[in-house]
Amino acid sequence: MKYMKSRPYLFSIFALGLALLLSLAIGSVFLSPSQLWAALSGHGTQTSTAILWSIRLPRTVLIALTGMALSGSGAAYQGLFRNPLADPFLIGVASGAGLGAVIAMSVKWPYTFWGLMAIPMAAFVAALLTVFIVYSLARLGKTVPTTNLILAGVAFSSFATSLTSFLMLRSTGEVRRALGWLLGGASQSGWTAILAITPYLVIGLGVLTLGGYALNLLQFGDDQAQQLGLNVTRAKTVLLVSASLATAAAVAFSGIIGFVGLVVPHVMRLWWGADYRLLIPLSIISGATALILSDVIARVVLAPQEIPVGIVTALAGAPFFLWVLRRAKNQGYW
Amino acid sequence: MLKIENLSVNYGTRRILRDISLNVQGGEVLALIGPNGAGKSTLIRAISGVIPSESGRVRTNGDDFQALSPIQRARYVATVPQAVSLPPAFTVWETVLLGRTPYLGFLGQPSGADEELARRALERVSAWTLAERRVGELSGGEAQRVLLARALCQSTPIMLLDEPTAHLDLQYQVSLLELVRELAHHDGLAVLIAMHDLNLAARYADRVALMDAGEIKALGEPGQVLRPEMIEAAFGLRVQVVKHPFLDVPLVLPDSRK
Amino acid sequence: MFRKLLVLTLLAAFLAGCAPASVPSPTVEPASTAAPTTQAPASTALTLTDGLGREVKLDEPAQRVVSLAPSNTEILFAIGAGAQVVGVDQFSDFPEQAKGLSGVGGSMGQYSTEAIVALKPDLVLAAEINTPELVKQLEDLGLTVYYLKNPTTLEEMYGNLEIVGQLTGQDVTDLVSSLKARVQAVDEKIATVTEKPAVFYEIDATDASKPYTYGPGTFGDLLITRAGGTNIADVAKDPYPQISLEQIVSSNPAFIILGDSMYGATPDAVKARPGWVSIDAVKNDRIFPFDDNLASRPGPRLVDGLEQLAKLLHPELFK
Repeated sequence: MKYMKSRPYLFSIFALGLALLLSLAIGSVFLSPSQLWAALSGHGTQTSTAILWSIRLPRTVLIALTGMALSGSGAAYQGLFRNPLADPFLIGVASGAGLGAVIAMSVKWPYTFWGLMAIPMAAFVAALLTVFIVYSLARLGKTVPTTNLILAGVAFSSFATSLTSFLMLRSTGEVRRALGWLLGGASQSGWTAILAITPYLVIGLGVLTLGGYALNLLQFGDDQAQQLGLNVTRAKTVLLVSASLATAAAVAFSGIIGFVGLVVPHVMRLWWGADYRLLIPLSIISGATALILSDVIARVVLAPQEIPVGIVTALAGAPFFLWVLRRAKNQGYW
Repeated sequence: MLKIENLSVNYGTRRILRDISLNVQGGEVLALIGPNGAGKSTLIRAISGVIPSESGRVRTNGDDFQALSPIQRARYVATVPQAVSLPPAFTVWETVLLGRTPYLGFLGQPSGADEELARRALERVSAWTLAERRVGELSGGEAQRVLLARALCQSTPIMLLDEPTAHLDLQYQVSLLELVRELAHHDGLAVLIAMHDLNLAARYADRVALMDAGEIKALGEPGQVLRPEMIEAAFGLRVQVVKHPFLDVPLVLPDSRK
Repeated sequence: MFRKLLVLTLLAAFLAGCAPASVPSPTVEPASTAAPTTQAPASTALTLTDGLGREVKLDEPAQRVVSLAPSNTEILFAIGAGAQVVGVDQFSDFPEQAKGLSGVGGSMGQYSTEAIVALKPDLVLAAEINTPELVKQLEDLGLTVYYLKNPTTLEEMYGNLEIVGQLTGQDVTDLVSSLKARVQAVDEKIATVTEKPAVFYEIDATDASKPYTYGPGTFGDLLITRAGGTNIADVAKDPYPQISLEQIVSSNPAFIILGDSMYGATPDAVKARPGWVSIDAVKNDRIFPFDDNLASRPGPRLVDGLEQLAKLLHPELFK
């Protein structure tokens, strides 16, 4: 335990590797490590190669990327808002994306490459628009007070969610589809999706990783951060946009998966402290691990039926979060 | 040397500071006194650049602060705020090191020299033994000393303190102020310190500025400023000012006798 | 800020455009369910255009079919292709034999692609409840998928039977003839009806003050009308509207059809609902449980539904 405590990166990457292995191995057909290696290096049987390359690998990679985006931006949001309850959907990104997706679903898109990309793109654009709207609503002159952001975000979320529900009610044919999307699930798990979101994740999460020091400063409040030399408004804006970019990309193809962005950073904080220079990259790595494991559970528990992974993260994440909370009570780590 | 020239600050449409002009020399402690709402904290925040000013300028020997970026300004002015609602998870060491921010790259990696400065700052405030403790576990006095150490790390010629003794026990008030005076007299810093305790101001400041309703009503040595009529005008309280029994400073005593 | 958004959106479009398209985009054609195109009758190879405008090719009629919707399962068994079905979604419960087949998921739109692939199907039959994304996903895995669009009339439903018949090599002429004959029999009897009673069809009354019902454009509405009734909700705008109790009472239906009887709704429970007692159907005890699948699943059992509804609404014509 002590060893694990002193080598956070080693442990996290090791855990991620195990999770990846598990996700590639488990499914309707169990692939042992040797079979996996054979399939990966091109020597496997036709079945295992097909299953691995066409189904499990793209799904696992997409889920991992989604987990990275949600946890990394979740940690950043918690730092930006100095609020342990913050998660990537705090200022309405999720509801905005959901609204965009449901609006797009009401149109019958042609079955072409772009037609199929319409819904994720609508969700992505809607997510970014939401951040822009909320940010503009919350701005007071040159500064963007944190409380205003939260309030504007909550208000916009309620608006977007209600509108989404209304639209869903009016077109029952699409409700199933919308619900499935909203509950979260790597349904669009092709390599296309992965290629589409990777650039945004690289940019968004890259900036967040480099912004660890700024987040540390921000923990002392806007005043002290500025007095110590940080351009507070610029830092907050850059961090907010980057986190939202990563979240929007993740949500566009994977729907809304809750709890990962909230819980993983807290667990990282509990184990390895509140220094954001460590917390952000560790959250990114462990977010992938957490979501991969959730996805494995989602596939296995009621096979061949698959539960949307957003349900698993909430069902499993809630008790886990409570456990973490109980342990942390005496340690004042927030 | 800190030069404040005709500084005016608004909150919305309300004018909080009117045409403040003030100089703080290197090597002196200037205490800002006055009732709550007089604008002491606002002045400190305006100098440190956290709130915008309506008109007027803040300068050091050559540069106008308005033209500086936050990092550049942070190399001139260090601010010691009140030690309230600090993030409890950070250690003392991590907190003090943040004082080196203006000199680090944006990745924030401190060098050996930076760490040495931090260590010395902690020793100076007698908090080196607290280095590994978490800020949330500290007492008010300890936390305040840590913030002072952080400001020391910033290696600035000017230091601002915003009511640092507000929540401290007497012994911590005294030790902090002794250290602050040493920083000015011994290290040559220009120190501007907002205080509410008139007698401590009299004792530890070289000059005193009395503020009321956003203006400076009096500026000078403690004996000149701490006069019964001035204090009564600002605080609405009748006082008697006597000579301190064993120090060559005035002593202010509230006098409610009829 | 806005500029950043614009740049990013363009970047998204640019990057997505650079991503390799796994399948060449098929040309967009309006969906045709009526007359599928076929190649020279001599060979067994088929080329059809499905409900998404996709061109679907089979070298020979499919022998291993996975059905992704209960309506497709019913169609497959009804046309005699039951032995060719190797997997079904979890909601396929008719006929009885379907329940024993391998499941591939389907709740909340989540299917196990691995399970589907493991069954090695030569055809996956999707319905409108399946998303185009799912179709694409299966297509990318190298499976042949046919997306059967929902019919809007009985004639279109016969058309779907013919399509699936072609896909599986089954002759559906007899089936379609018998269905048409049964429908004609009902039509003839209903033509003699002078009065079409008002009917309220209940889909879901969890909130009894605003139950869900069939609006215009649904088969439920179509069947009610064809069975000689008037759907009190046909003035609504949505296909599955919620109708207020007030409106039900003022429309005063002569019949209440409980499509939610499979979820536990009973005539007695309806009679006990406050405010419902004044409705004619309640007073005259004309509340009937009904298998909603006969009105909602777009397959041959719609004809069963028509017959049953007609018997309920005009019992004197069907002695």
